[in-house]
Amino acid sequence: MMTEMLDCDAVMRQLWDYLDGELTPDREEVVRAHLAMCNRCHPQQDFEQSFLRALSASRREHLRPDAIKVRVLAALRADGFAA
Amino acid sequence: MLWNQEPLRRLIRKVIGASPDSRTPDERFRDEALPHLPAVTRFALSLTRDESDAEDLVQETYLRAFRAWDQFVPGSECRAWLFTICRNTHFRTSLREQRVVAYEDAELEALGAAAVHAAAQADGLEDVFSRMDVMEAIRAAVDALPDPFREVVVLVDLEEQSYEDAARVLEIPKGTVRSRLFRGRRLLQEQLIEHARDAGIARKRRPNDGLEGTSNDD
Repeated sequence: MMTEMLDCDAVMRQLWDYLDGELTPDREEVVRAHLAMCNRCHPQQDFEQSFLRALSASRREHLRPDAIKVRVLAALRADGFAA
Repeated sequence: MLWNQEPLRRLIRKVIGASPDSRTPDERFRDEALPHLPAVTRFALSLTRDESDAEDLVQETYLRAFRAWDQFVPGSECRAWLFTICRNTHFRTSLREQRVVAYEDAELEALGAAAVHAAAQADGLEDVFSRMDVMEAIRAAVDALPDPFREVVVLVDLEEQSYEDAARVLEIPKGTVRSRLFRGRRLLQEQLIEHARDAGIARKRRPNDGLEGTSNDD
């Protein structure tokens, strides 16, 4: 028997915070312990993680990164930037 | 300089544990602010949704940042500082009013995500985010999010800012970042699952889905 048990509902409420690394270390440990042994919550964790990975990978780079750098540097130099 | 301040500087460094920094302010700007140019450009693009407007915004952001460089607190999160300037500049020029989001309950949103997962399971779409090429669909869904949600999703999920830093950039409480983020994610998931159903990726279709179209490919 663990010292603190969370029910699935409580874990669901904190799942995003957990995945974002926003829980306190104590809380994080309790949620991690529940996820490791719960057949209901674990698939949800996998689902959300794959969503966050895909979302992060969808980041779009600017089409002309060099052009914008040249432009910003020129504007800064005209404003006195000397480095 | 009227007298030599170096001993005093050395003492301050010793006390606060900072390493010696002989760089000029411009050199520090070059080393600390300029490397964030790609991130600021992405963020600007997410605000303007137009490449040319984004370039103007990035230039203006860096000019303002350069002029205010003495106000930047060394050691603090420079990228978040630049995002803040970028966002303020954008709103000053676009004169757009911030819409008030009436419904903000992070706990309910978190539980809503569980419902989305259950629906995805029912449609055989559990691995939808890793199985199909979702990148374009995700980008379109992010672009279509209402601004208050898009901002937090971009900052936290795409630019990897903490809730705390995102709150500072957006000038809203951390709890509001959390609730908007969770809702934004849920809206994205719903949109993407609908997209997957429309694309015929769902394993089965329930009779009362209310989807338009006449896909008979089962």
